[in-house]
Amino acid sequence: MSEIVTIQQLLGLSIILFTIGLVGVVTRRNLILVLLSLELMLSAANLAFVSFAYIQGDLAGQIMVFFVMIVAAAEVTVGLAIALLLSRKTGKINADEVRALKW
Amino acid sequence: MMHTLFWILPEVWLSTIIFLLLALDLKWGEEKHPLMGLIAIAGMLPLFPILFLLAKEGGSHELFSGMFRVDTMALFFKGIFTVSGIVALVLAREFGKAVDRAHGEFYLLFLIAVLGMFLAASSANFLMLFISLELVAITLYVLVSYLHTNLQSLESGLKYLVLGSLSSALFLYGIAFIYGTTGSLHFETIHAMSLRAQTLPAGLVFGILLVLAGILFKAAVVPFQIWAPDVYQGAPTPVTAFLSVGSKALAFLVALRILQELFLPFSMAWNSVLVFASGATILYGNLCAIPQTNIKRFMAYSSIGHAGYLLMGITAGVDIGSAAVSYYLLGYLFTNLVLFLVITAVTLQTGSDEIKSFAGLSKRSPFLAAAMFIGLLSLAGVPPMAGFFGKFLLVLSALSQGYLTLAIIGAVAVVISLYYYLRVVQTLYADEPVDATPIKIGTTMKMSIVACLIGIFVLGIWQYPFLAISIRSIQHIF
Repeated sequence: MSEIVTIQQLLGLSIILFTIGLVGVVTRRNLILVLLSLELMLSAANLAFVSFAYIQGDLAGQIMVFFVMIVAAAEVTVGLAIALLLSRKTGKINADEVRALKW
Repeated sequence: MMHTLFWILPEVWLSTIIFLLLALDLKWGEEKHPLMGLIAIAGMLPLFPILFLLAKEGGSHELFSGMFRVDTMALFFKGIFTVSGIVALVLAREFGKAVDRAHGEFYLLFLIAVLGMFLAASSANFLMLFISLELVAITLYVLVSYLHTNLQSLESGLKYLVLGSLSSALFLYGIAFIYGTTGSLHFETIHAMSLRAQTLPAGLVFGILLVLAGILFKAAVVPFQIWAPDVYQGAPTPVTAFLSVGSKALAFLVALRILQELFLPFSMAWNSVLVFASGATILYGNLCAIPQTNIKRFMAYSSIGHAGYLLMGITAGVDIGSAAVSYYLLGYLFTNLVLFLVITAVTLQTGSDEIKSFAGLSKRSPFLAAAMFIGLLSLAGVPPMAGFFGKFLLVLSALSQGYLTLAIIGAVAVVISLYYYLRVVQTLYADEPVDATPIKIGTTMKMSIVACLIGIFVLGIWQYPFLAISIRSIQHIF
């Protein structure tokens, strides 16, 4: 274990990032920012995986990160596509404009 | 020792069909080709003999250095996914006639979702499980928002995507902490570790609870049920049918795998949460279904209620509970599919999915009305139908573990559900139709309805062999 950063600091950072993402998804109204916050949550999980893999000297956690990055890219692609179609229809990219169904 | 290829035959077969359809879709392009749907359905059918062959061989087999495992539970659930996939494709074929653009990729996406479910059923590693679940989830986001010109479909797709990705992120973060405390992503290693464990590390509890949140979201359980009514209502009807059966079965498969197989020794970490969630879900689903006027929204609340019952079996944490979950899912599969077949047939003709457009269905099509009547009774849990015995087993398993309050809530909710299901039956039979034109249905639709009705009655009357299958399906997880 390196002396520069400890596992507690890494996990603390990861939890802070995850919370920022979670709060962002819940409170932001702009769809692009919502998608961005989702990416932040996945990245926080990646950081946790890498830190755990590092202290255990195990590669499985680091391999997981590559797959998560691909999944995150796929997810945001679909998300942006739907946001684009919606903005073409309503002219806005605001979650408040989307209320044809009872929420 | 059989060859590796033999055990992944269902997945290989499904991938072949997917590539075939992809090539045909490219070739036929924008024109609507009638063969596309037929090839997709015909391609699914050989999965039954293949799965049967594998089940006859039996046993639990690990492949690809422990990434992939074929056991009886995986095969049982693959059977459920195949049935729901086929019926969803039958529905998609009917539905496609009403969509104005080419719909080749509509079938393709269904098949990819089924492939993802197959892989998730056989996962023996958290990496594999996460990726297969995402394969299903991302495919479903596209399917839900498939009607590009329909604002409702786009909106429900967006809601599903945002909340679904949120739950995936929670699930993933939970996996990270499980990995951090157990030091492995392999189910086998984690299982061995949890059997030996003397103490319960706080990090593991955190991880299990986050993973649980992800699962409860996919199963649409209180407090993560908020997406279900909107998405069920806005999605194209075949997708709604697939969500309500396939996606739900997948969630409970993952719940059985993770909670029962991996973390049963740590049940004190998750059990009280599940007891509460189960009771709250049963009450919420059944009470909110009463005032609904839209049939798809109505089915959403009813399916939330059923998720609560299924959770009861997981809470019980014994083999009878898990077997009851398998049995109940089997009955729920046929029942819900019959209802969605009828709903699709009627809504495509009338162009409205309000419950009042079903008024006087018995005069317009006695066959459809009777099928819907039987389906609703089975959902409510009336004796000669499949729903009754499943509910009975679930309540029994809760009682056997001493959850008296939960069992009472379950029994009371049956009475509530009888009220709102029978109100729909009243609309079907007693009300006068707005226009009395008979409703036409295609041959494949008719065949599917008859097959599902047979399933409902066989499961309800001749329970023993199916109970034996359900018990066999969970033999490897304890």
